[in-house]
Amino acid sequence: MFSLFICILIFTPIALVALQFNNNTENWDHIQQTVLTTYIFSTLILVLSTAILSTFIGVTCAWLVACCEFPGRKFFEWTLILPLTIPTYIAAYSYYDLLEMFTPMMIWIRSNFSPESMIYFNDIMVYLVTSLVMTSVLFPYVYLSTRASFLMQGNQLIEAAKTLGHKPSNIFWKVALPMARPAIIAGLSLVVMETLNDYGAVEYFGIPTFTIGIFRSWLGMNDMGSALKLSSYLLFFVFFILYIEKYFRGEAKFHQKNDSSRTYSPNLLKGKYSILAIFFCLLPLCLGFIIPITRLLFWASSVSGSFFDITFFQVIFNSIGLASVSSLLIVTLATILIFTSSYFQSKIVKVANQFAILGYSMPGAVVAMGFLLIAGYINQSMGYLLTGTLISLTFAYLVRFLAVAWQPIDSGMEKKCDQINQASRILGNSALISMFKLNLPLLKKSIIVAVLLIFVDIFKELPLTLILRPFNFDTLATLTYDLNSQAQLHESAIPALLIILVTIPPIIFLNNQLDDRL
Amino acid sequence: MLKNVLPNLIRLTKIFSLFSILSGEINIYSHRHYDSDKILFKKFTQQTGIKVNVVKGSADQLIQRLVTEGENSPADILLTVDAGRLERAKKMGILQSIDSKILRKNVPQLMRDPDNNWFGLTVRARVIVYAKDRVKPTDLSTYEALAEPQWKGRIAVRSSNNIYNQSLLASILAANGSDSALSWAKSVRGNMARSPRGSDRDQARIVASGLADIAIMNTYYLGVMSNSPDITDQEVAKKLGVFFPNQDGRGVHINVSGAGVTASSKNKKEAIQFLEFLTSKNSQEVFAKENYEYPLKVRKNKSKLLKSWGKFKYDQLQLSILGDNNTDAVKIFDKAGWE
Ligand SMILES: [Fe+2]
Repeated sequence: MFSLFICILIFTPIALVALQFNNNTENWDHIQQTVLTTYIFSTLILVLSTAILSTFIGVTCAWLVACCEFPGRKFFEWTLILPLTIPTYIAAYSYYDLLEMFTPMMIWIRSNFSPESMIYFNDIMVYLVTSLVMTSVLFPYVYLSTRASFLMQGNQLIEAAKTLGHKPSNIFWKVALPMARPAIIAGLSLVVMETLNDYGAVEYFGIPTFTIGIFRSWLGMNDMGSALKLSSYLLFFVFFILYIEKYFRGEAKFHQKNDSSRTYSPNLLKGKYSILAIFFCLLPLCLGFIIPITRLLFWASSVSGSFFDITFFQVIFNSIGLASVSSLLIVTLATILIFTSSYFQSKIVKVANQFAILGYSMPGAVVAMGFLLIAGYINQSMGYLLTGTLISLTFAYLVRFLAVAWQPIDSGMEKKCDQINQASRILGNSALISMFKLNLPLLKKSIIVAVLLIFVDIFKELPLTLILRPFNFDTLATLTYDLNSQAQLHESAIPALLIILVTIPPIIFLNNQLDDRL
Repeated sequence: MLKNVLPNLIRLTKIFSLFSILSGEINIYSHRHYDSDKILFKKFTQQTGIKVNVVKGSADQLIQRLVTEGENSPADILLTVDAGRLERAKKMGILQSIDSKILRKNVPQLMRDPDNNWFGLTVRARVIVYAKDRVKPTDLSTYEALAEPQWKGRIAVRSSNNIYNQSLLASILAANGSDSALSWAKSVRGNMARSPRGSDRDQARIVASGLADIAIMNTYYLGVMSNSPDITDQEVAKKLGVFFPNQDGRGVHINVSGAGVTASSKNKKEAIQFLEFLTSKNSQEVFAKENYEYPLKVRKNKSKLLKSWGKFKYDQLQLSILGDNNTDAVKIFDKAGWE
């Protein structure tokens, strides 16, 4: 019962948004006639270009690191995941002047061709640069899942192909790549979700995506109905992607990595090929990590010591406290939910669970809207205020991040505990005993992984925290955003760096534990 | 389990939120993040002993939050930039009418809500800024003239998601009607040097870099930039001149940042006291000195920098009309393809 209740609670915001699909709202005709196509096309272009770039970089790096041997390979193996520590909004502002670098070129185009061609050139550059910035911090999703696939699934086949005398390039195109397809798609779907979720970067670079449109109709036109309807469009787009992902993935699932050693002989790259390989791994590492970090460090170093007052340490404490407590809470709930569905073999709970974990696929903006809808109902009917308390913020995190806890725990449960639980039930042990005595010890590792994953996500989270936080309450993420919107670029580098630094150890730990978060 | 825990949790958070009500503080939802405000909040607490709590956030989200919270909202004051937004907040019923002689005296009539739901605190002028080395002030005249083909590929201005632009268009709409507002927005969008993005400050930078020749922006950003610790910003500001348009007609478009007491306020007396404090002569000087905004009595400003830009005539449009026209302005931007 409890599980079902939680599932419904979490599912409600999503359902409320989805129900708006057929609602006709005040400004909908206007939106449809003027800006809807712009939103659709700019979102599609951005998503597509980011996806293509991420696939190219992610797959190439994964192939080099997993299937080849060259100097520095081991180093790249783990450093290539570091860009994941940088949220897109921080990446965008560490590259805030990247587009301005093309100014001389634009002026040259104007004086040698025409103002029109300058404007045209600018439009292309905007999308190119934005998707490049997004890719530089999102490609590791593809890299991680593809690398895992190259390591785990391809071994025997690749070896076989090799003994049959195929060239490495042939093996890559004909064997390894097709086999890695589900993994690539899985990584890509995360890249796409994160791109759709982004508000900071697209606002920075001026791309009118759906998320921008949602905020514009909600806040700019004061038309929550149209905003919800746009959200529902976005939601169906997400459903569509999830469907594609499921379709391509088929029955294949990723498992936790037990052994990272490679069981077959890698291609030894020599001479100019090894230099090329190093260059190819170094480039995304520089773009996604070294350059942003160096710039942030440079800005931070010019900030005077008086910045580090008591309030700043309070902010650090807030961030760590909030992320720790919420992640523990979310993982506890996830464990209970998964356990009940495993122990009681309940179909309803299983289906409800499936819906509840959709939260992660939804852009934070959509979750916030759904949440405000509910908060409004509760406030009117029960007179109790949900906004602006830590409880409500934690609940919003729960809706958004439950899925993140789901994957590792669920796959752990399926592998290790399903049969035990059924046996235990037949033997007449109570649910509580089964859970504490039998499951928890076995699931320890999965649970740690889940806690860390959510901790990292909440630590970086911006839009939900921004809207729902209590009085006088700042986290490192909101402080970064606030300082940045006051154009205090140098000061905002400090909380941004802290976010990155704190998330590096968990990310490295996770890399060792897990090949994929799906 | 749930039956027992939930009511207790609710009780617990209620105690926390009651806390602030009992000890006589004021709670502010603020969009403004300037040092001037910090200084003034501190001064207020020193003078009155009333503690000031602040939630900073984007105004639109704060307004949305106030609507959701309804009567239960802990906020006493909504502090934000742009009359269009304040008027929107009023229309949503989250502000209340305040009867204060001091406020009526300190705040000129066009800079406050006719029903006294909100009051302006500082004045900002949205002007044309030009590259001194390429543009003569005599080339410039009115906002309307920016639609002329001679400006093709030469104008820098930010996105229409920004309320300053929405209010500017709302004022043009009020002056010229919706057909000519639409054709104006279309032509200006066509004259832009690049698709709109970035802040007002970024527009200044584009002009300084040579990509555009003129920009539409608020004056105080130029003040902030010329006093910035960043040398490149100082140099940008040096290259730019300020032009007040429409001086032969209705005058330059002005706007306010302002505040209102929320309908749900539990500390109304203190909240009014706070607004009166912010409109006092001393506070007005702090706004001008720290943030380069014009005081409510625009012509009485004492700041050297502000004086150096010169005196100007400003549009006498009742600022609440900016709010009335806001949705129409947004729709015109949509139609004009101004992102
Ligand atoms: Fe501003």
